[in-house]
Amino acid sequence: MKNEETDNPRRNGEGLENPSRRTLLRGGVAAAGGAALAAGLAARGAGAAISQHADPLITDVQDWNRYPGDGVDARPYGLPSQYEKDVVRRDVPWLTADSKSSVNFTPLHELDGIITPNGLCFERHHGGIAEINPADHRLMINGLVDNELVFTMEDLKRFPRENRVYFLECAANSGMEWRGSQLNGCQFTHGMVHNVMYTGIRVRDLLNEAGVKPEGKWVLAEGADPSLMTRSIPLEKMMDDCMVAFKMNGEALREEQGYPIRLVVPGWEGNMWIKWLRRFEVGDQPWQQREETSKYTDLLADGQARRFTWEMDVKSVITNPSPQAPITHGKGQTVITGLAWSGRGKIARVDVSLDGGRNWQEARIDGPSLDKSVHRFYYDFDWDGSELLIQSRAMDDQGFIQPSKDELRAARGTNSIYHNNGIQTWYIKQDGSAENVEVSS
Amino acid sequence: MSKYLLKPLAVASLLALAHPLAASAQDADAGEKVFRKCKACHMVGEDAKNRVGPELNNLLGRQAGTVPDFKYSKAMEAKGNDGLVWDDDTLSEYLENPKKYVKGTKMSFAGLRKETEIQDVIAYLKTFSEAAGTPAETESKAEEPAKNDEAAAAAEPVQTAAASDGDVLPKDAEVPDHGVFHLGRKALPDEVEAWNIDIRPDGSGLPVGRGTVAQGEVIYTETCAVCHGVFGEGEGRWPVLAGGQGTLEDDRPEKTIGSYWPYLSTVFDYVRRAMPFGNAHSLSDNGVYSVVAYLLYLNDVVTDEEFELSNENFASIKLPNEENFIADNRLEEPAYAAKEEPCMKECKPGPVEITMRARVLDVTPDSEDDSVGAGAIE
Repeated sequence: MKNEETDNPRRNGEGLENPSRRTLLRGGVAAAGGAALAAGLAARGAGAAISQHADPLITDVQDWNRYPGDGVDARPYGLPSQYEKDVVRRDVPWLTADSKSSVNFTPLHELDGIITPNGLCFERHHGGIAEINPADHRLMINGLVDNELVFTMEDLKRFPRENRVYFLECAANSGMEWRGSQLNGCQFTHGMVHNVMYTGIRVRDLLNEAGVKPEGKWVLAEGADPSLMTRSIPLEKMMDDCMVAFKMNGEALREEQGYPIRLVVPGWEGNMWIKWLRRFEVGDQPWQQREETSKYTDLLADGQARRFTWEMDVKSVITNPSPQAPITHGKGQTVITGLAWSGRGKIARVDVSLDGGRNWQEARIDGPSLDKSVHRFYYDFDWDGSELLIQSRAMDDQGFIQPSKDELRAARGTNSIYHNNGIQTWYIKQDGSAENVEVSS
Repeated sequence: MSKYLLKPLAVASLLALAHPLAASAQDADAGEKVFRKCKACHMVGEDAKNRVGPELNNLLGRQAGTVPDFKYSKAMEAKGNDGLVWDDDTLSEYLENPKKYVKGTKMSFAGLRKETEIQDVIAYLKTFSEAAGTPAETESKAEEPAKNDEAAAAAEPVQTAAASDGDVLPKDAEVPDHGVFHLGRKALPDEVEAWNIDIRPDGSGLPVGRGTVAQGEVIYTETCAVCHGVFGEGEGRWPVLAGGQGTLEDDRPEKTIGSYWPYLSTVFDYVRRAMPFGNAHSLSDNGVYSVVAYLLYLNDVVTDEEFELSNENFASIKLPNEENFIADNRLEEPAYAAKEEPCMKECKPGPVEITMRARVLDVTPDSEDDSVGAGAIE
């Protein structure tokens, strides 16, 4: 699969060097302050506070103190600082056959708060990114309705709008970890999740406009991309809280997120959030489409498979420190932070363990606590520089508790692929570096 | 409105006639973007290897069907032997409609619809071709771009008219009587028919049609085998379609149509909806019936090569694994059912040990160990 690398300028985009086998960790560390790691780890405990010499960064006048920078027109659409160029989505090419039907991952270890910036939301496509002029886009409603209708984008924007923050998680997030710890970085183990504020309209209003017949129980949602992605969704869910969104975080959806419109299915697996949405069909039974039979069904150890496993269960992960984001400052005051979410409600509590799950302390949730949205948690402590096995465990307001990986495997085996919400362990070494491990129960 | 729009385009096409080179100007940078459509199958540049399609270095000036170690269709080899050499003209014609120019080519790509895309991608490929001469020096091309511009001019107003500034409908159009907000318009029967292609397990939605195993083998071999393998075994990481019966409880189960998929309707629906990858909607309904019949044969669900699948017998065919699908019962698992206040102190008997470490320490795109991620994302 070596050839994939040279073959794919997408990964080389924006002047970013393609991270090769040994440079990724180095790159990640560099982003976090490579020099700081070398110096910090060597003189751990000394810290910058005991410097003997005046810092020239303070005593000398710097270029940026003196020479005027770009004017207002230089950056009509602002981009992150050049020093943030490594904060990008990344993929793992050997996971899939082709980049047009593949996935990349949100760099969770580089983010804070609860909102994922639009350009960093992970991507999963089945036929590449459809590029659609909104003027050419149509949404059809057909099937068991009084009136089969067609809407233009302009029509859709005349319905009452609402704003909601929801997480979207791929059902296969952490799917590579079923057989044991495998990928060294939360971007890769947990990065198929993002959290965005959507502006859109209620599916309920659209369906009511067409008039659902009494025998209508299911809705097939269909996309306009070359896979014509389809999923069967119960009418009840569609009438409850589903949205047709045209904005994310205030601006138009990104093309890779379904521009001009996508379906929002709060709390349910990402595959159902049909992008480039073009059709709703109302029917009396599910359609048993490819993505709800051969895929997105959960094979159990006894050969049976669960289907229609829609809700994303309660889950959390520590994003810092983690393998791509080691502790670089040595012992002393240290911030552990991470994300928690549940497709069944709000997060009620997050606990953090430093000793592999033997003892737990309650973490502090900060920022908005919203239904079916990610929550940001912090655990501030004084690190003595010894090895740690750090874990987080989330509980939602329905009383569900994030299970251990062993509990999941005992119930399901190791071939489920989807819905792995087990507790993650990072092994923090004395030098502050981190590794993805599993621990005894 | 259309008159106004036609004007500048008409001028453009006159200019095109006068300056053929300007009309076929090639842009290698734009071509790099177009080439994304080709990259599912073709590599170019340093380290390029044959993949689903042959590598494309030094394509310009190459005799068709001659890249070493690539298994071409007989049709492509014959064309090369007849003297087909790839240059601006031959590539342009091939890329516009591959199956028309080389009848029987393995390349399951519909072709590039826009002349500019064709010229740009050729320009891009030239940057990897030592033999590439100066671009677009042939005179015969003068005609074609001009023709295309006219076509574009004819097509353009339609598109632009759709660009709604609020005047798609006349301002005094009647307010529709449906619904609450009276938004949208009634879908026409032809429109619903064009998009309403889904099939259910009970056979509802099936088009009238039929096809045999033998007919399906011809289409499958030509169109599907390049990715899915001659026997449905899957090339590279492309999906395996056949085999795997009895492996669902194994350490590495093989989930195929025969071993896993619950309903035949899903196969028909998906092939018609999205296959072949890169050229969806190119099979006729009878073609889809044939391919599905052949997939049943590859999976030993039918054993007779004479078997014919049709809308009449479709719903009677069951796949072996249908009964093994169950409803979501996650909440009955002990960890969820308990809903107990979780343990906070000394929850494990003694100091915790590391039992397993990351298998892939450096998560990189060029991992040599191809097996580690097997079955992760499907």
